Amino acid sequence: MSRLNSFRELEHLRERLREQRQNITTTVMVCGGTGCKASRSQAVIDAVRDELSRQGLDTKVRLCVTGCHGFCEQGPVIIIEPSNIFYCHVSPEDAFEIVYQTVVKGEVIERLLYTDPVSGKTARIMSEVPFYQAQDRQILSQNLNVDPCSIEDYIVAGGYSALTKVLRGMTSENIIKEIVSSGLRGRGGGGFPTGRKWIECRDAPGDEKYVICNADEGDPGAYMDRCVLEGNPHLVLEGMMIGAWAIGARKGYIYVRNEYPLAVDHSRTAVEQARELGLLGDNILGSSFSFDVDIARGGGAFVCGESTALMASVAGKVGEPRPKDIHTVVDGLYHKPTALNNVETWANVPSIILNGSSWFASKGSQGSKGTKILALTGRVKNTGLVEVAMGTPIRTVVFDIGGGAVNGNGVKAVQTGGPSGGCLPVDKFDLPIDFDVLYKAGSMIGSGGMVVMDEETCMVDVAKYFLTFLQDESCGKCLPCRLGIDRMLEIITDITEGRGKPEQLDLLEELADTVAQTALCGLGKTAPNPVLSTLRYFRTEYEAHINEKKCLAGVCKALITYSIDPDKCNGCGVCLRGCVYGAITGIKKQVHIIDAQLCQKCGICRSDCKFDAIRVA
Amino acid sequence: MLQYVNVNIDGAIIRATKGTSVLDTALEYGICIPHLCHVPYLSDIGACRLCIVEHVANGRSNVTTSCTLNVEEGMVIMTNTDRIRRLRRNLAELLVAQAPNSRAIQDIALRCGVREVRYPFRNEDCVLCGRCVRVCTEVWKARAIGFVGRGKDRHVDYPFGIRPDFCKQCGSCIQLCPMTIPPCGGPMKPGEECLCSNCESQLIIADEMVGSCVWCKLGEGFACGRYV
Repeated sequence: MSRLNSFRELEHLRERLREQRQNITTTVMVCGGTGCKASRSQAVIDAVRDELSRQGLDTKVRLCVTGCHGFCEQGPVIIIEPSNIFYCHVSPEDAFEIVYQTVVKGEVIERLLYTDPVSGKTARIMSEVPFYQAQDRQILSQNLNVDPCSIEDYIVAGGYSALTKVLRGMTSENIIKEIVSSGLRGRGGGGFPTGRKWIECRDAPGDEKYVICNADEGDPGAYMDRCVLEGNPHLVLEGMMIGAWAIGARKGYIYVRNEYPLAVDHSRTAVEQARELGLLGDNILGSSFSFDVDIARGGGAFVCGESTALMASVAGKVGEPRPKDIHTVVDGLYHKPTALNNVETWANVPSIILNGSSWFASKGSQGSKGTKILALTGRVKNTGLVEVAMGTPIRTVVFDIGGGAVNGNGVKAVQTGGPSGGCLPVDKFDLPIDFDVLYKAGSMIGSGGMVVMDEETCMVDVAKYFLTFLQDESCGKCLPCRLGIDRMLEIITDITEGRGKPEQLDLLEELADTVAQTALCGLGKTAPNPVLSTLRYFRTEYEAHINEKKCLAGVCKALITYSIDPDKCNGCGVCLRGCVYGAITGIKKQVHIIDAQLCQKCGICRSDCKFDAIRVA
Repeated sequence: MLQYVNVNIDGAIIRATKGTSVLDTALEYGICIPHLCHVPYLSDIGACRLCIVEHVANGRSNVTTSCTLNVEEGMVIMTNTDRIRRLRRNLAELLVAQAPNSRAIQDIALRCGVREVRYPFRNEDCVLCGRCVRVCTEVWKARAIGFVGRGKDRHVDYPFGIRPDFCKQCGSCIQLCPMTIPPCGGPMKPGEECLCSNCESQLIIADEMVGSCVWCKLGEGFACGRYV
């Protein structure tokens, strides 16, 4: 394709592409996101493609390998337009049937439809699936009919029209005004008003300015940014262009985690395609705006997601935070004013410009506007990406969308915001998903990770897990983070191993408070949140560990013993054969016994026993 | 020409040179803020966090390190509030528990009000204040030593662990190291570390006079404004 030199040429291209696609009757959209790829969606894609060409349907049917659809639990997922039929758990062997029955004849294959485990109803189309019903998918829905590696798809879907609108007649003042009144706040975790950041950056002295897209997502169990960047990189790119025009930047970077090969690949392809069309480079679409984007691959550290560490890393230095007494909007990358925003924040920008700030502000709660993508994971039935309007209660997300805990257990808590967030118990589930409300409750939205925990989760163990993660990922520059986390972990390890003392809880609380107040960067300041929030809501569990030397959830190995219930055991011998340590003895058809000395508490016997005779106490 | 700004430190209106840090200004006027990683002629990295102060702005008080905070007109700083004393004591406690075998660290702990250490002692040789790394990098431009590793594994080392030719063994790093002065009672044996508190007798004066400091080895070696 040749370079586009004016707005009209972009519109012509859009119309030409739409005309070309007029005789396409059916579109088969197969999810090629990382979640579905892990469920072998690549084989499905190949099989469907072979099948289409075998039946000579290449020209009439479009096979679109899209980004994440969100329902990763049910992957690989296929949607067939125009009737929007939704198939899940598709295997390569189903390809023939799908093409022959659904694509050609328009019949539905009942076997592949989604059945709701609660009501037992089958859903024919996507909007009938309960998982999607309670959602408000503004960004994720744009993933559906766009091939992330094809700029044509994005243009056909109306892409880059926000950029045209901006370059045609919106001044920097107008754009920023629109963003400010939309109430958009940073989606990376801090929740800083995006508009204010842009104003400060635009007003900062200096001609050379930068915009950066932060795609260094590293929270355990969170993958929203990955799916947006993998699924629709041009959307992020368009948002960055609008931001750059408003701020006056000529250069941008997408800092993407190297552990996300697909995201690196797709964003690089997107940048190359945009350059080829002249959407990046000098005098974009014949206007006075010149802008280019480079991809910076992450250095493999969690802390590089912190703004100053990220900028150091982009500049080729060690990714360590520095004091932020002067903000990065004034002294950022290469000591120049820099506006750094999260992937999701940038992705929200084009629709705000196109639909207006009042459209965006109509969604959400008092202080938090718009929608938020959450990664629902952990011990919940429907794991996947969920996009809801801000202000939706946690209960709706966990129970209505997530379907409650697996195996019929009760939900105990939800951990929001990754290692920087906290755990909220079930009685706080009526709290809305809102930056300020969750912060007051001792947690935060963070980047949007949401890990559901059931009754089999020990909260002390959860705190220990996050501290171990943070200890590994702390850069070690400042004392409170390096030593404070280390000592907190030491205390919690003592507690989980039965050496805890009651006075250690106060020490833990005081230490956590000290770290939170004195650490150098955001990572250190929020690092004690998992400890503080579990102490606040689940103090009884800590006390049970210390005073009674008991782990109520049966997780902390030093505090539990396995025994066999003589009333339930019928001496089948399954546990005896399964025990790798030889700790179980017994004669066939008689009650078996576990030798506490030899037992390593691996839990194999418990999962093997069909009669539920293994007790953990 | 030097420009001046007025700052309020602990209630005193001080005329400070524009572009200097709050810590330098305070030390110059004899307001003693404990510090470890700060060296007057080196850049400040805010690693030890001992020099924290409360910066009151827009009706909110932020805890921040005074070494990285530059003075501004009308700034209100409080160096010795209950909150700061408590935080500083906790930080010093972490520090002395990690490396008790240094007089400088012991003095800092005592001066910050540590009377008991609630963590098991560890006998580490380095507190990662980064003085050595900065003097090698900034003064001698040698870059013969640097930080290696991350988090718990962070340590100071030569490039790839081998002493390079450009290390002239000048010894500046050793001179600035807070770990080179043994405690008053001599080096402690592993497993027998304790809070030395030999200079505690002099603290009686210090406790009553706000902002005063003990005559400590630290003041001598660490360019404390009071020591001169």
